[in-house]
Amino acid sequence: MPTASSVHIGTCGFSYPEWIKAGIYPPKTRSFQMLRHYSRLFSVVELNYTWYQMARADTITRMLAGCDSTLLFCAKLTRTMTHEIATDWPDQARAYLQGMAPLLARKRLLSVLVQLPPTFRRTPQNRTYLARLFDTLKPLPLAVEFRHRSWAQNSVFTGLTERGVTLVSVDAPPLPELFPPLEVITNPALFYLRLHGRNTSGWRSGSKQQQFNYNYTQAELRQWSAARIPRMRAACTTGVILFNNHVAGQAVRNAQALAQLLHPSSASHNV
Amino acid sequence: MERRIIHLNIANFCVAVEQVRDPRLRNRPVIIACPGPRAVVHDMSDEAYSEGVRKNMLLTAALRRCRSALVLPPRPELYRKALGSCLKQALQYTPLVERSSGNGHLYLDVTGTHRLFGPPPDIGWRLRNTLRRDLGLDPIWSIGTSKLIAKVASRLVKPRGEYIVGGGEEQSFLNPLPLQLLPGISPADLLRLQHINIHLVHQVTALSVQDLHVVCGRRAHRIYHLVRGIDPRPVHPVISRKQDISHAYTFSPDTNQEAVVRAALTTLTQRAGYDLRQRRLGCRRAAVMLLYSDGVSVTRQAAVSLPVCDDTSLQQLVSAALYRAWNRRIRLRQLTVTCSLLCHPAQQLSLFTAGDMRVQKNRQLSKALDTIRSRCGDGTIFRGAQYPHINTSIPLP
Repeated sequence: MPTASSVHIGTCGFSYPEWIKAGIYPPKTRSFQMLRHYSRLFSVVELNYTWYQMARADTITRMLAGCDSTLLFCAKLTRTMTHEIATDWPDQARAYLQGMAPLLARKRLLSVLVQLPPTFRRTPQNRTYLARLFDTLKPLPLAVEFRHRSWAQNSVFTGLTERGVTLVSVDAPPLPELFPPLEVITNPALFYLRLHGRNTSGWRSGSKQQQFNYNYTQAELRQWSAARIPRMRAACTTGVILFNNHVAGQAVRNAQALAQLLHPSSASHNV
Repeated sequence: MERRIIHLNIANFCVAVEQVRDPRLRNRPVIIACPGPRAVVHDMSDEAYSEGVRKNMLLTAALRRCRSALVLPPRPELYRKALGSCLKQALQYTPLVERSSGNGHLYLDVTGTHRLFGPPPDIGWRLRNTLRRDLGLDPIWSIGTSKLIAKVASRLVKPRGEYIVGGGEEQSFLNPLPLQLLPGISPADLLRLQHINIHLVHQVTALSVQDLHVVCGRRAHRIYHLVRGIDPRPVHPVISRKQDISHAYTFSPDTNQEAVVRAALTTLTQRAGYDLRQRRLGCRRAAVMLLYSDGVSVTRQAAVSLPVCDDTSLQQLVSAALYRAWNRRIRLRQLTVTCSLLCHPAQQLSLFTAGDMRVQKNRQLSKALDTIRSRCGDGTIFRGAQYPHINTSIPLP
């Protein structure tokens, strides 16, 4: 049984010009330098640009050449397989696999995040699609984040466990339709926690700047660090904790604060 | 602050607009061309392209390659409206939106809008979704640090897709690409570089300006910057620009006789001058685009410091542009005159003298001709310079 797993803490995305103004990156930092600066702060990053555009091996190779060799990655699955499911999705999935090859080859990929929209409810059609998608992406380590509560069922968790797919635990505003903040472990190799902030009024604004504009208090972070994260750590060999409240660099400060809470004596964010 | 430019490109724009109006046109070869014996292809669908049809090809030649193609006459007003709708959506994110040559290209400068609208990829994605939902158009969107990089990225994913190039990655992004993907590298440049077995961008970046000068002459500096992704051109906002005036004529048959070309040029200039005066505007720049029989097009321009609107001054300006552009012995197929940098022709009058009498006379003559044309129609009166080419029914593009 896994015990006292290594936990990697980081943020969702790293290329935010506003982080220069927030003092996270030095003044006049250019986009291609941001990842190098980021890798001095955290041991893991979630690539969110792979949601907007198909992952390409040449782009990822260029990115790897420009950052610290110890930085680990999680990558979002492209929107054409999650939010705008195209008829040629199997081709897209194969293209994604090819795009991720450099990360896999260098053993720098912790997980691929399949983040599904609130409109993706648990219907027979969607269940079939998801099963086929997981099968097609099988060579990749997978994690799935649901945004609709219809997926919060034991049968779903069992199915994920059988496939070795990590169920993402989320911290989000307490809205009725949203997937609840559970700590169900479906893959003993990895737990994956995403903290989106709790901005209830901004969540459905349609603007990411409002949706993810939230600063966690120490008390809120302790809700996770005191019992929930230790329980997940005890059940898994590795863990990833990522903050998505990127506005004004709040994600970075919250991530650093959580790292301190989890391991007060450690200066590193790989605790 | 690092520049972030979004390039939106609606591939085969005219055909895409026609397909939105009539969904039966989807998935079949369509050619947009003016009807007529010497018509050239204005735009074509992917299906027609894959059969070998290209822009500016003679329609008869195009139909030989793609016999099943449906030929539609161009509807400029419809395309202008569609592009206007795209522009309206784009202006919700930034006032710096440039409409490039009216063929489905938009550049948005979203530098510094991050805190308002989120990261540039999010803007590109949202804008594309809006255009798809509201107008039925599916643009390519790409992001770069300049118009050059964004446009090259679009060309890489054409006919649909997206590409994001981060700041500082320009050189490594361009290096493996073939030179013909770079806008600004002319066919003549390509040919010269191919002669010394240079085909890719990184092969050119290995050369100094002096080396390039040996091969490309005066173009060396421009190419040196292009292959390095250096493009400081700003995005020119549409709202500050008045609509350019443009007229075109297709020769039938193709010609290189100077008298015929000059006569056609005079006719086009008269039309442009009439339009300018009707709008009470003058222009400071005139461009002439020549399309040769072999499909090569050359554009040159001439500019003046004070706006002109009378026919004689405009003729001088346009003639200067014509002779800058016309340096090949190949016959011409099409001639286009465009008046730009439009502004009100205000000027300080002299207190004591009546000014140059010839200029005054020219203005009066232009005014008199305009009056006659307004009352009696376009084909009632001509200048002698329009001979031997007096043709009142110039087909507009």
